[in-house]
Amino acid sequence: MSARIKLIGTGILLCLALGATIFCALQTVQAIQRFEESRNLATSGDVSTIGDWMTLPYIARVYHVPENYLDQWLHIRDRQSTRHTTLRALADQYNRPVDSLIHDIQRAIVTYRKQHTPHTGNTQHDKGQPPTGRKKP
Amino acid sequence: MSIFLSTLLNSLQSYGYPALWLSIFVAAVGLPLPIGLVLLAAGAFAALGDFNVIVLALIATSASVAGDCLGYLIGRLLGSKPLEWLEQSRSGKRFISPRTVARSRLYFKRRGGWAIFLSRFLFSALGGIINLLSGIELFPFRYFLFCDIPGEAVGVVIPLALGFAFGASWEAVGDVLGAFSLFVVGLLLVIVLLIRLIRYMCSVQRVKTGHQLTEVQNVTDVAPIIDPPAPSSGHLPLS
Repeated sequence: MSARIKLIGTGILLCLALGATIFCALQTVQAIQRFEESRNLATSGDVSTIGDWMTLPYIARVYHVPENYLDQWLHIRDRQSTRHTTLRALADQYNRPVDSLIHDIQRAIVTYRKQHTPHTGNTQHDKGQPPTGRKKP
Repeated sequence: MSIFLSTLLNSLQSYGYPALWLSIFVAAVGLPLPIGLVLLAAGAFAALGDFNVIVLALIATSASVAGDCLGYLIGRLLGSKPLEWLEQSRSGKRFISPRTVARSRLYFKRRGGWAIFLSRFLFSALGGIINLLSGIELFPFRYFLFCDIPGEAVGVVIPLALGFAFGASWEAVGDVLGAFSLFVVGLLLVIVLLIRLIRYMCSVQRVKTGHQLTEVQNVTDVAPIIDPPAPSSGHLPLS
């Protein structure tokens, strides 16, 4: 192969590689932005960051909710067997979609927070219904 | 999240360290499992006290090195035969010339160490293939381990530390790591191609100047015959 053909071929490959690198750089910047958003949500305790990989004890610790409260909200009786189970596996175990399980847990956390926010002045105490058998404060 | 990753995380939570060791070992041999993400998640679990991060690092490194060694062994025991067939048989020579095989062997001996080290954490998708290649090329085992262990240690510590530091955001960290490693691969490719391009340009330039030199030489060789004689000399120029 002549040097001129090699030169042209390498030039074309270089242009393609350069384009791909720029694309990857943009993807990296976007990923960093997404990470920052996710980090901000996670540090503010936003319940939308609950993922199907989390376990109930993990959620309890990250979102500052008693583990008992979540178990009672979800009507889980056998705590020991579900302690190390991810939400996805838990949903499979209880034959329900994982999204609905996550939604339930989100509601539980929001309700718990409403019930346990510090009160100022004459504001009403609880508006959300407590779950049956919830932990007494 | 893929069901595959979810299953791995569930087994990590249910069976603990042995499950982690086994999944990393299998991935190091060559099965494409999302181990980087599993390590990020393990770091996140460790941050809340489910696991000990140092034990996690030791287990993950040992599993990776053991898997790499098995890949190397498979390459060494079974892989040299197809290469010999490619080099020696007539039909094999049709696919790849023996000169190319010899050149690639020499290149791997010279740069294989870097390939092993970098493929542990930067191009982790190539790890399994590099292990097999190292065995096929009869790369010295001690040198293989010398490059493999630090590479695997880096490859384990980075995701574990990031998972530990960023906790619940580990999925977003995984996206950043994936995009960044692709960017680095692209950048390296651009650098290599740029160096090649400059080399080819130099060789084309050299050929051009060589042609010009020969032309000038031809002209100087022919010039005394073509040039008309000086009117004052009174005789024909002889070359």
